[in-house]
Amino acid sequence: MTGIWYVVGFAIAGVSFVLVTIAMAWLISHRNRGDEHKGLPYESGIDTYGDTHGRFGLSFYIYALLFVAFDIEVIFIYLWAIVFRDLLIGGFVSMLVFVSILLLGLAYAWRKGVLTWR
Amino acid sequence: MDSPSRTFERLTLPGKVIFTLVPILIALLAGLVMAIVLVGPFALDFLSANLPLVRFVVAATVVLLMTVPTAFLIIYMEMKVIALMNLRYGPDRVGPYGSLLSVVHGLKVLMKEDFTPTGADGIVFTWAPVVVYMASVMTLLVLPFAPGIFGVDMNIGLLYFFAMGGLGVVGLLMAGWSSFNKYSLIGGLRSAAQVVSYEIPLTLSVVGIVLLSGTLSLNKITLDQSGSLFDWYVFKQPLAFLIFMIAATAEANRTPFDLTEADSEIVAGFATEYSGMRFGFFFFAEYVNVFIVSGLAVALFMGGWNAPFDWPFPIVAQPDLAGMGVGLLLAIGLIPPLAILLLAMPFYLLNTGLRFWQALVIGFVLFNVVAVAALLGFAFISFDWVVGLLWFLMKTYGFVFLFVWMRGTLPRVRIDQLMGFAWKWLLPAALLNLFVTALAIVLVTTPR
Repeated sequence: MTGIWYVVGFAIAGVSFVLVTIAMAWLISHRNRGDEHKGLPYESGIDTYGDTHGRFGLSFYIYALLFVAFDIEVIFIYLWAIVFRDLLIGGFVSMLVFVSILLLGLAYAWRKGVLTWR
Repeated sequence: MDSPSRTFERLTLPGKVIFTLVPILIALLAGLVMAIVLVGPFALDFLSANLPLVRFVVAATVVLLMTVPTAFLIIYMEMKVIALMNLRYGPDRVGPYGSLLSVVHGLKVLMKEDFTPTGADGIVFTWAPVVVYMASVMTLLVLPFAPGIFGVDMNIGLLYFFAMGGLGVVGLLMAGWSSFNKYSLIGGLRSAAQVVSYEIPLTLSVVGIVLLSGTLSLNKITLDQSGSLFDWYVFKQPLAFLIFMIAATAEANRTPFDLTEADSEIVAGFATEYSGMRFGFFFFAEYVNVFIVSGLAVALFMGGWNAPFDWPFPIVAQPDLAGMGVGLLLAIGLIPPLAILLLAMPFYLLNTGLRFWQALVIGFVLFNVVAVAALLGFAFISFDWVVGLLWFLMKTYGFVFLFVWMRGTLPRVRIDQLMGFAWKWLLPAALLNLFVTALAIVLVTTPR
């Protein structure tokens, strides 16, 4: 169980390293407030218009949904791969069934044209 | 050009304070070292009673601090190698062959103004580079560098590696969303979609290795590949290696898959509004990522620290240092000055026109080179982990060179080609590789 303490301790050490570095840089760097144009979003010199957090492509969501389905599958496959030498042919067939169900979903998404970027 | 003093005058007040304090701190550190030497024996008792704690502190410090020279080296390598490939000179002003230019870049980024745009969400804006950097550095904890030299040997090492690496997506989304800029938002979403799509083939491609070795611990996977050259998994899983390399290039946002920073389309992607050290950490993380991905490829496919052939002269020297007693002290005190004089002599005597002190400086530098070479040679024949570390770093930097080479050669792909390639080609290929491997294991191990 030493692993979890290494992860926690290292996360604390690393985050403080980054934050201290940023704070040091903030202390030694030049700063000026500038005029009201300095804080505007950079859009190649033109003042911004409309809502920034507005509408964007639906395909991002669909890729995220596909990712979630397949990422859960990957965790199952990892656990299955460790104990595979005890399961052999039975494990092989059951994983084949499991993956083909998911692949059916992927084929459906493919057929529906989701995988074509628009 | 009295640049040091002029630079000092230009600093803000806190900057002056810090640049005055740093020498004092260094002096204090020297005092601390003296104190450690004096109270060493008592401290040693305490430390030996808490060995796991000491090991953690050393491991965390080494892993955190090794990212700095690694990133500098890879940035310099990229500038110089691509310049030579383009028939340019590349960096050649600062330091020998321009090798200190990346250090200067680092210092410059440290002193640049760190600006937060008006509409930005300040807290998320600050934490995004932290998340991106930590997501890549946390994975270094389980990478085996040499026999016995690793952060921690976890039994779920590979899963931990991909889980931590996947957290980088959160940082990219945070940066894109909090910048309050349309380019940043599109860049963040785009890189999230890309990283997320290539994560599936990346994680699936290494399942073949997990099937063969039956463990997720990177240390045990490396040990599995010891023996001859053909025990390396690249020869047992060539398709997996190909998929892994393509997906890893996309994961690390390297050309030809660097849609994240497609500067001709979306300015600089999620990093458009960043400046100063927060911007610096994004690029720090990117170059550390190149090293980590190369290291993982070496550990999984290229035998990790294992040498491709046996060292033809098995030498193990164990000189009895403690038995030398006072002789050791005399040697430490007398050898350096005598050797420096000996090395400086030819330059002074041979009518080269050098002054005595110039010859002494040359002798000092030469002595240091010789001493470092001798120490390295001594370590090489005395500890087996030094050899392992050298092999690991050589292979890793070979892969880093491959990534730089790709950047110098290949054009950027289009986003629809990128996404289609991940889902329509890499994913089925990775699953095919998985089932062929599993079937082979079933056929080999089924009792007849």
